[in-house]
This record gives sequence, structure tokens and C-alpha cells, in this order.
Amino acid sequence: MKKQTSKFAGFTRKYAAIPYGVFMAVFVIFPLIVLLLYSFCEKSVDGSLSFKFTFDNFKSVFSEDNFSMLINSLLVGLYTTGICLLIGYPIAYLLANKNYNRSAVLVMLFMLPMWVNFLLRTLATKAMLEFFGITMGMGTVIFGMVYNFLPFMIMPIYTTIQKIDYSLIEGAADLGASARVTFWKVTVPLSLPGVLSGITMVFTPTITTFAISKMLSNSKISLIGDYIEQQVKILNYNVASAISFVIILIVGISMIVLNKYDKDNANQGGGLW
Amino acid sequence: MEDNKKNTQAEYIIELNGLTKIYDGKTVVDHINLKIKRGEFVTLLGPSGCGKTTTLRMIAGFERPEEGSITLEGKDIADLPPYKRPVNTVFQKYALFPHLNVYKNIAFGLKLKKVEVTKKNIFGKEVTKLVNMAYMPVEQKVVKKDGSEITKIVPFCRSYQMMTVSTKKGVKKLKKMNMYKKFIDDKVKHALKIVGLSGYEDRDVNSLSGGQQQRVAIARAIVNEPQILLLDEPLGALDLKMRQEMQLELKSMHKKLGITFIYVTHDQEEALTMSNTVVVMKDGKILQEGTPIEIYNEPTSAYVADFIGESNILDGVMPEDKKVVFAGAEFECVDTGFEPGEEVDVVIRPEDWVIKREGNGILNGEITGCMFRGVHYEMTCMAGGYELILHNTVEYKPGRKIGLYVDPENIQIMKKRFATNEFDCELLSNTTLSLLGATYDFNPAALFENCEYDEENDVVKIDGVQTDLKGRTIRVAVDFDKIDLTDSEEEAPLAGNVESMIYKGKNYLVDIKTDDNNHIYADTEYLWDKYDRVGIAINKNDFRLIKE
Repeated sequence: MKKQTSKFAGFTRKYAAIPYGVFMAVFVIFPLIVLLLYSFCEKSVDGSLSFKFTFDNFKSVFSEDNFSMLINSLLVGLYTTGICLLIGYPIAYLLANKNYNRSAVLVMLFMLPMWVNFLLRTLATKAMLEFFGITMGMGTVIFGMVYNFLPFMIMPIYTTIQKIDYSLIEGAADLGASARVTFWKVTVPLSLPGVLSGITMVFTPTITTFAISKMLSNSKISLIGDYIEQQVKILNYNVASAISFVIILIVGISMIVLNKYDKDNANQGGGLW
Repeated sequence: MEDNKKNTQAEYIIELNGLTKIYDGKTVVDHINLKIKRGEFVTLLGPSGCGKTTTLRMIAGFERPEEGSITLEGKDIADLPPYKRPVNTVFQKYALFPHLNVYKNIAFGLKLKKVEVTKKNIFGKEVTKLVNMAYMPVEQKVVKKDGSEITKIVPFCRSYQMMTVSTKKGVKKLKKMNMYKKFIDDKVKHALKIVGLSGYEDRDVNSLSGGQQQRVAIARAIVNEPQILLLDEPLGALDLKMRQEMQLELKSMHKKLGITFIYVTHDQEEALTMSNTVVVMKDGKILQEGTPIEIYNEPTSAYVADFIGESNILDGVMPEDKKVVFAGAEFECVDTGFEPGEEVDVVIRPEDWVIKREGNGILNGEITGCMFRGVHYEMTCMAGGYELILHNTVEYKPGRKIGLYVDPENIQIMKKRFATNEFDCELLSNTTLSLLGATYDFNPAALFENCEYDEENDVVKIDGVQTDLKGRTIRVAVDFDKIDLTDSEEEAPLAGNVESMIYKGKNYLVDIKTDDNNHIYADTEYLWDKYDRVGIAINKNDFRLIKE
């Protein structure tokens, strides 16, 4: 034992964190700094950093057109998240219940569409909607979003419900709680971490996705993600960065608010953060 | 008759009749009959898998019995869901709600409590309904502005009273108190006081130690004033010291509360220490039921004797009443009612041996091992070819020759449950038979009387008449010592798992459970482990015919 420790003298566990530190610096911190720089600099012709300070990019974000697009994106995100939760929770609950789902096959079925590239999936959705003669618009966009992101709501909720100790359910019944009371007083509170991570995993990508909105509305509706894509295409990295920065702030704030609700269950685990 | 019925109802709080539970075709609880008196502390004791927990879970309502009834206070509750039963459970792993603090965990059941309320419906007819206690109508005195007092009917959760409360500074103040909240508050605090956790109301249950969590779990159950408290190995997860402490506390709680406790454990010491009645279970059946002293001193089977404490279990023969022969010597005993020459099991507790000088006892032996065990020495002694265990406060060194004596009252004689294995078999040919689905070779000449067997021509002659044995069904016996256990199951036609072992001084009596849940008993010199997979071999000459 003694020899071994002397051999590795000076090597403590903290050194094992170095690769991750480097990774974080290169792939998270550095891009964020670049993003921040771009958003406060004037546009250059070739898209490189001009290092000329300006607020114009943010002004354009909050210009009337762009601002309403931002609000629109947030609304789509909220609707999608809400619908996903309404559909996803019961599904997750049934999947986690061994009486209804004895194997993991059903869970697999819900996950299977995820294996198909999402552009292809959306194209297929479009073809299907057109086949049924449904007019493209906000409704179809939200339908496409829900279809795409539902598994991200189901999965975390399913895992947390599955992890709930069955003796707690029995305990509640033993203390006089009917199945309904047990559900609301035990299952729901204990699955909240899963619900919260589900909300994050649906809300965050929906407000920034592109392509789904364009494809499923015949380019009638353009959301903030589409706008970013468009700005990047014309090498206007500065406005794109400014918008991204605003979205990061919005998502960050909503996460802080959500986390506050989650505090009571912080030790429960099962959630994604 | 009516009177009689009432009496039994008053005496027994719960009765289990022919209770049976089958999981996937396997009978876990097998027609159990049990009556439990009001206020008793009953322990279901047995090894894991004996059906004790399943029995408890059926009483709690988590499992539906396939057959039988559970009668609580004269009402069959076997089909009631758990939340409608007046019993509460303390779970092995506590099952405290992690999202609630100590106070809310304990108040959980109280807040769901339903009471019967008689109300006049719209037709003026009186109907009795179950309502949540919070909405139970109560009278409320209200002082009007002009000073006059009127009485109103309000739901319990909205009733209040003016009470003097002493504040932190010691000043007494008149304060409006919600009576429903106060009712719950008082109950919770009382329950916490009983389990010794006053002041822990606001603690997070995850921050408590195992022992404290267990106390909260007990408080959560007793606060509902159940008619029966069910405890499913509640101390299993605690360390030894804590467990002993909790044993005493549970016992005193039982005295204080006066409610019936049904306790499940595999720890025989725990069962003997705490309960009024011990129910020993094995393979879904009740083996013996009695006070701890009865169970310890007068076990009715070798299995119970072996399970409850250490003991010497020996094969003996009763030549006549009040006489028993074992280990090569004749002892006096107090048991009667056996047939002359009947084979019996003899149980002698290690502390009941009286050690004398060599030649002065009934049996002579030599000490072969000695170990200090705290209060006493545990010694092994070879006497009459048997290995005996003795407990004594005086140390005898290995090699010392001693005489042994037992007080007649301390010799416990038990009828053997089985003296031999018996099977119904079908003869497949002149030399093979089918036994519990496996094919064994047998020797017809050894099995049948006046039978000759010509091996070369495969001809069997009984009383000189040629007979074809194929297709006959017979009942055969195979003695315990005629069954050979083999290490690998391939070496024998039939295989099984070792269920239990009892040391008989000279050899082990092994209980083997085959895959079809049949039991085969074997005497063997070798020590096997529980759940060992063994092959069951029988020599072709060792089958005995019982009847055809």
C-alpha cells in the first residue's frame, strides 16, 4: 500500500478534472465570449470581428418586427411545452406502471421516431398533413413541434416516476389515501424533478428551432431560429449573436425560476440537473 | 350460541381462516388459520420465503388472498382495499415521504381521516355519509357585534376558539385558534412524544438517521389509532445496538398504546424478547404457535427446535412411557403416549446438560472443544458416537472425560414428522420406475417378496409365476439414510435445492426441495449449504415396498 501511494505522490484526484476543464474552456466558455464580442461589434463585410463597439445589433433585436417574432417564438415554446406536458405525463405514468407496461417495448416505441433524422421526420409530417388536406399555419407548426419534442418530455418523467419507491405508494394507501389522493399527494410531487427537466428539454429547443416552423407553415411563419439562420447565411453574425444572447438570457432566467420551484425536491435526483 | 359468538368476537380482534396466496403457481401462504387476541403482541417468525411477510401484506391489503378470509372485528376485510382498513403498517424501509417533513409525514393519515356524519338530505330523510374530518360539521359560537352570542354550524376546518397562548416572552395572549389545525397539531405532537422525537416536527426526513426515520414511521402509523399495527421487519435495517434499544421501546409502546401488534421477523431472539405469542412459519404453513417460553422449551418439531435457539436434536426411541433411548443410553423423561419402540426426535437445550464426574452421569463423553461465549462456555462433547453441544459456566478443557445427566423435565420428545420418504411410483419396466417424474433403476428382487429376477432374459418371477411389472403403480419408501446426495445434478436422475439442514449429533437431516416443490429428506454426514443444488441418487436395492 505504502509503495503505491509514493509512486503516485502528488497525483490527486483533482488532476483528473483537467481534461474537462480544458474542454469546457474551448467548447463552452470561448464560444460564449466570441458570441458576446460579436453581439457588441459592428457588422463587417466578410463576417469577421470588426472590434467596433455598437448597440445597434440589440436595437435591431428589439425592433418591432423582430420583437414580435421573438414573442411569437416564446408563445410557440410555451404552447408546445404545455401540450407536451399534458400528453406526456399520462403516457409516462402509464409506461412506468408495471400493471400496464410489463416490458420496455412500449417505451422503445415512443423513442423509435427519435432515431429518424428530424428534418426527414418533419418532411414526412408535412407530406402527411398535406395528404389529409390540412392548411399549414400555426396549428401545424405546434403539431410538428409537439410531435418532435414529446419524447423529451416523456423520458425524464418516465424515469422519475419509475424511480419512485413502490412502498411509498403502498404507504399512502395504508394511511388511508385512495388511488386518486395517492397520485396527487405522492406521485405528482415526487415526479416534479422529471417534469421540470422535461419542461427544460422541450421549452429550450422549441424557442430556437428552425426548419420545423418554415416547413410546416409553408414559410408563412418564421420564428426566431429561422431568423438567426437567415442572418448567418448573409454573414450578419452580429445580429445573430445578439439574438442568441437575448435567448440565452431568457432561457437562463426561466431556468432560475424553475429551479426555485425545484428546491424542495433538490435531493431527490432523477431530474437532469 | 349467540352469546358465544359475541364472546369470541370480543376476545379475538382478527381471525385468518384458510388464508392462501399463490404467486405464479407457487403456494406462498398455504391455508393459514390464525386467531389473534385483542391487545396481543404477535410475532410471525420464520426464515425468508416462509410466507410471513405475504401474510402481513394480506392483512394490510396489499395482496389479495386466493382463498380464505380475514375477519377483523367480525367483518370480512379480505376484499377491502388497504385505504379502507383500520390497520396501519410500519414498513421495513420506512417508506417515509421524502417530499414532506416530519410533521407532514405524520399528519398525512390524519388529514385523510373520514368520519361518519348523519345529515338530512333534501327529502328530509337522515342519511349517514363518510366525509373527510376537515368538513365534519361542528358547532361554533360566534359573538356578534352587539355582544350577543349565537351558535352556528361550520365545517371543522373553519371552527376556531379563543385561547390563551403564552408567547415566547412569557406573556399570555388571547389568540384565535383554528380547532382543526389544533386537533392535528396535538395528535402529531403526542405521537412524536411517544416515539421520543419531540421537537423534530420541521426536520427533513432525509436528514434523520435510520433509527429516527423508523421512529417517524412508527409515529406516522400510530397517530391514526389503528386497531392493529402491522410491523414488517421494522428493525431489520438498524445496527445491533439500535435494534436492541428499539425492541425495548416497541415493547413499552405496545403496553402504553394497548393496540394489537403483528410483527414480522426472521430474528428468533427478537421474537422471543418482544412478543406474547410467537407463530413459527415454514413453507407457508404455521408449524407452531405459543408463548415464547412454550416455543423455546417445548418445540413440537425438530425444525422449530433448531430454528429457535441452539439445541441438540437427536434421534431416539421410546421403549416405554417415560423412558427414552438416545446416544446409546436410556434416559428418564416425562413424556407418555408414544407407542412402544416408536422413533422420536429428542431435543435437549445445551444449557440443560448437567456435567458430572465420569461414570456419575447417564452418559459418558469426552470434551472435544471449548469456546468462551461471554456468560458461559460453549463446549462440544463426543458421547456415544454423537456430537453434543453443552453450555456451562464452568470451563472443561478438551480431552477431559465427563459424565452427562439431564433432568427428565428438560428432555423434550417430539413425534417425528416423517420417519421415511414415501413416494407413489409407476413401474416403467421390470427394472425402472418413475419417481416424482424422474426415472430410477430398481432391483425387483429386493423390492418384491419371493421374487426372482433373471437379468439375462429380463424375466421376473413372483412366487414362481412369471410377471410383467410394467405399468404397475406402487407406493415405496426410501429411508433417510438410503438417499445419496451428489454434488452435480447430472449424476442423479432427480435434482433439488437444499431447503434446510438440521444437525443430529451424528449426521445432518437435509430437507431437499425438488423443482416441483416436493420434499425429500436425507441423512448425510456431509454439510451442505442452503440452496445448494444437489442430485438425489438412490441405490436400486434401497426401495422398500409399502403397498401395491
